[in-house]
Amino acid sequence: MNRTLIWLFALGIFFLSPFIGAVNLELSDILHADTLSAQIFYELRLPRVIFTFFAGLVLALSGLLFQTLFRNPLMTPYTLGISSGATLGAGIAIKLGMSSVIFGIAATSFFGFLGALLTIFLLLFLSRYLQGSQQTSLLLLGIALSLFYNSALMIIFYLGDSIQNDMLIRFTMGSLSVISWNSPLVLAVVAVFFTSIIYSYRFELQLLSISEESALMKGLESKKIVFWLLFLSSICIGILVSICGPIGFIGLLVPHIIAKLYQQSIEKRIMKTAFFGGFFLIFCDTIARALPTQSEIPIGIITALIGGPFFIYLIISKNKGV
Amino acid sequence: MIEIDSLSCKYANKTVLSEITLDIEDHLTILGANGSGKSTLAKALCGLIRLEGKIEIDAQDIFEYDAKERAKKIAYIPTKLEFYDEFITLEEFVLFGRFPYKASFMNYTDKDKKVAREKIELLELCTLSKHPLSSLSSGETALALMAQALTQESDIIIFDEPTANLDPRNSKIIAKHIKGLKQTHQTVLITHDIGLANFIANPVLFLKNTEGFYFKKDFFTDENLSRLYEVEIESLAVKYE
Repeated sequence: MNRTLIWLFALGIFFLSPFIGAVNLELSDILHADTLSAQIFYELRLPRVIFTFFAGLVLALSGLLFQTLFRNPLMTPYTLGISSGATLGAGIAIKLGMSSVIFGIAATSFFGFLGALLTIFLLLFLSRYLQGSQQTSLLLLGIALSLFYNSALMIIFYLGDSIQNDMLIRFTMGSLSVISWNSPLVLAVVAVFFTSIIYSYRFELQLLSISEESALMKGLESKKIVFWLLFLSSICIGILVSICGPIGFIGLLVPHIIAKLYQQSIEKRIMKTAFFGGFFLIFCDTIARALPTQSEIPIGIITALIGGPFFIYLIISKNKGV
Repeated sequence: MIEIDSLSCKYANKTVLSEITLDIEDHLTILGANGSGKSTLAKALCGLIRLEGKIEIDAQDIFEYDAKERAKKIAYIPTKLEFYDEFITLEEFVLFGRFPYKASFMNYTDKDKKVAREKIELLELCTLSKHPLSSLSSGETALALMAQALTQESDIIIFDEPTANLDPRNSKIIAKHIKGLKQTHQTVLITHDIGLANFIANPVLFLKNTEGFYFKKDFFTDENLSRLYEVEIESLAVKYE
């Protein structure tokens, strides 16, 4: 019952969201193709909602993936510093004024997922030197890397001129304002690809959620699969972050909400987490647009305001052994 | 058939096992004091760690097996089950035993599900099959682990201290099942529970001072136990009969 209501609410937000914002639109407006309202709807709002949906999907799913692979509810690309790595990469590209296209990909995107990949390799490399309570140490490594990246980004700020800095600040706080259909389409392809890979590995993930050792004893080449899935999700996160900046806490919140709501094994939660992630980010974005502020509040701030306290709750409840 | 050929293990400057050589045709119980290398040997047998020397199962090096093929040969039951997914049910957990038989990217077949169900029935876990693992007691978890290993339909099953966390009643239930499995599987039992080892009555490999002492039979005498464990042992503490 609760579940149905939540999904209905999510769907409701999905359909209402494009009409809400600095200019509220009416259904009748969008039926006439040549009005300003129709233009806003088709060129700004709709691409944005679609983009937001897939962004939320990738974030939530990669959260679930990381939590399963590391068997820890606090693991996400964001808490492990992978998002920060991508941000720094993209930030460098912005600072260097790179607007060119490498291998058919925008330079910021390319640098973004280079940053994400570099971070995951660094984490995997460093984790070989960890002993004992590996998971906690890995999390601390991620946080250390985040801090390091942030400082590096600060240096870029000091070197930049005010126009670049304005772009950078907007970028580092996360922004879903996409113009035209380019980014939503790119992200849609990435998200569908990502989701189908994760879904096709659902039984392997379920095995890995027990332990790498037991997965190995069941005939799963754990190390290979873990590496491949982390590699893949880093690419996806890299692309996502390079377009919309780092958006935190979705990967933490959504898998947890779905787990509490359904109480099913991970394998059965994959698709639910993916879809709910999409709807949840649309919900957050709708709040950001609906608030009557001078300029739009960056989405990263909204998700952090909701997610920060939740993160603390997770740490406390984890220590209680819940 | 397991062949261990001059297996050695050193940690930093401490030698744990030196030149262990043994052909295991029959069942085997591995005993030894804490830190004598029992678990190391068990992990090596499973191919989880790589030591100096060589281990062959059915005349093939364990590291030359494809992971799934190896899983069809050997199943390992750990002392303690740790898991992250708190909502996974016993039924789903037991079904993992069929993973080595499952085609990549495909769902488990009806046959897989049937095998899992049979093993759940065999161990009298039917009433718990829809329950999440996290709600089971230690005794029930031990049975769930056993059901999963049986579902794996391997030739060999390794039990790593199966009664370490169990009360006497559950220990007896597990002991009875292990004894029963000797009919269908080659069993390797690692334990500190002398009563259990005596009841299972496998040949014994006693690990002491990095060496292995093999007893085909007649191991369980007070004299043997006292000498090897270096403590007065007068009679077996727990009787499983």
